[in-house]
Amino acid sequence: MNQLLTNIKTIPKAAWPFIAFILLFFLGGLLRPELITIESLLGTAAFAIILAVASYGQTVAIIQGGIDLSVANTIAFTALAFLTMTRTVGFFPALIVTLLLGSLIGFINGFIITKLSLTPIVTTIAMNGFLFGLILLLFKSSELATVPVELEVITTARISLLGVSFPAALLVGLIIMALLQAMISYSGFGRQLIVTGTSAEVARYSGIAVDRTKTLGWALTGFLNAVAAVIIVGFYSQASPTMGAAYLLGSVAAVVVGGASIFGGSGSFVATVGGALVLGQVATLVSVANLGSNIQQLIYGLIVLGVVAAYGRNKKG
Amino acid sequence: METIKTGLFSAVTRLRAEGATAPVLAFLVFFSLYVVVNPEILTRFQLQNAANLVVPLAFAAIAQMIVVIVGGIDISIGAIMSLCNVSFALMMINLSPAIAIPATLLIGVAAGLFNGLLVAYLRLPAIAVTLASFFIIGALTRELMDRPGGGISFEFFLATSGELLPFVPVSFFWLSLFAVALWFVLQKTRFGRHVYAVGSNPEGLEAAGVHSRATIVMAFMLSGLTVSIGAIMLAGSTLTGDPRSGDAYLLNSIAAVALAGVSFAGGRGSILGAILAAFTLGLIGNFLYFAGINASWQYIIAALILLSVVAIPAIVERVRKAYRESK
Repeated sequence: MNQLLTNIKTIPKAAWPFIAFILLFFLGGLLRPELITIESLLGTAAFAIILAVASYGQTVAIIQGGIDLSVANTIAFTALAFLTMTRTVGFFPALIVTLLLGSLIGFINGFIITKLSLTPIVTTIAMNGFLFGLILLLFKSSELATVPVELEVITTARISLLGVSFPAALLVGLIIMALLQAMISYSGFGRQLIVTGTSAEVARYSGIAVDRTKTLGWALTGFLNAVAAVIIVGFYSQASPTMGAAYLLGSVAAVVVGGASIFGGSGSFVATVGGALVLGQVATLVSVANLGSNIQQLIYGLIVLGVVAAYGRNKKG
Repeated sequence: METIKTGLFSAVTRLRAEGATAPVLAFLVFFSLYVVVNPEILTRFQLQNAANLVVPLAFAAIAQMIVVIVGGIDISIGAIMSLCNVSFALMMINLSPAIAIPATLLIGVAAGLFNGLLVAYLRLPAIAVTLASFFIIGALTRELMDRPGGGISFEFFLATSGELLPFVPVSFFWLSLFAVALWFVLQKTRFGRHVYAVGSNPEGLEAAGVHSRATIVMAFMLSGLTVSIGAIMLAGSTLTGDPRSGDAYLLNSIAAVALAGVSFAGGRGSILGAILAAFTLGLIGNFLYFAGINASWQYIIAALILLSVVAIPAIVERVRKAYRESK
């Protein structure tokens, strides 16, 4: 028994959401045996990867000890800007300007947080409101629905591999995850970000330029939110001023369910994908059992509570 | 005369100590501009409309402030607001206000109890607990009512938001009554002193033999009670219950608390500051309308007011430090 417990403790933290996902997947099989198929698995995964992509920016923010409440309107603003620009300047210039816009939004957040010593919550709430004003003032048509062909190739186009087909967004989302995970685990910047998130004081004494690291981290968060905006526009073929609302707390939930500490210093992109998969599989099960979206939200809340109770004890307490 | 002078002096000192000077000044400047642009705000009808618009936000801001003072943050406040709003509107279909009001207050207190127990006794971070209750309470609310409705009577509108009193908007009267009672609880009772102490120095409080956990739970319950009153006022002024009515208060209550100069490290916060900050943020849209400016600017202006007022102390501190170092 003790041996078993020791073995369980050696399972890496990032694996837990995937274990939970697989259990939930087979739980679905108990309800409806025909659900145990690769197609069903990939369907849930494609849905979950969009939430994961929208949560990569939040992952960076939470790792460095912050929280990004401007993610909702950063996504809406950059998505609307992107679609508006593609009409006049074409796909690639619009893509580059959009990613720069996202990075700029994140950089301004980082500048205010580090140089004016405002808390991330207040700063990003102000930014979220500011961007909402810009959205209403700048974008006349609220719904834009013409998606450039280049974007369809990386989102809705179907890829066939070993006899199964899935949307390209799934592959793109996983590639971005792998790149970000390599960055956070193996680059100097990634390690500096984790140390800064664990304790800014310790980071300062170890010679890390804390303000610079944080500002760069926030710029990365903004950049990733813009990446998410472009992929969401492609995947759902539309953009609207309220399109980001579901990701405001949805992204925090995915990161927390992945097992990251809300106080910073831990968390990974693989774990965030795991967290999104768990939430996605719950959504699938709830819709299969025909329970309605209220039950889905209720279960989301209970899962967040369970995960936080398991990992999230307040170390200060 | 002398007592008035010292009274005024101590009031100003207290505002400064609570970080509320900037929001009070910001409100005075803003309201003066408002009166210049639109003197009719001082007429009965307009003042009443303005009060009805901002009073629920003031309650939400005070509720958020209570949680922030004990060192937490509550992102379920919007959800609790919707739940109480919807429950109250539903109960008003068949029940008398004498039952519906206390029952709604109990629901708010219960929501606070739920959050508070998890934060204080399981030692879970408030932001994560209230994220979970945001989902759970939201689900319950939409299960109760999925589209606007309920049975708010016109008499109830008159009692909470109409012309019950001469000159003063009645919603403003209820807010003032509550604020004075809360001020008394927070400033003049042992519990109130513990609330401030638990945010600034929990170990010291524990060492002094005070149950800091019980204080935290009670602070969350008081916060829930405050939200539920705001939800009843909202139901009264809009004559309806709406499962989405609380959504806007999630971010706006935090913004108002920040504008009020409340420290997010806990231990500090002024009721007057929170009320005036909520009034400022809540009236920007109306102000722009009367100034003939596109109302979409309100979000941008609110963000800039928030950033500048909150950043001023940090900037002043930086300039002072640079000045000292240069000498």
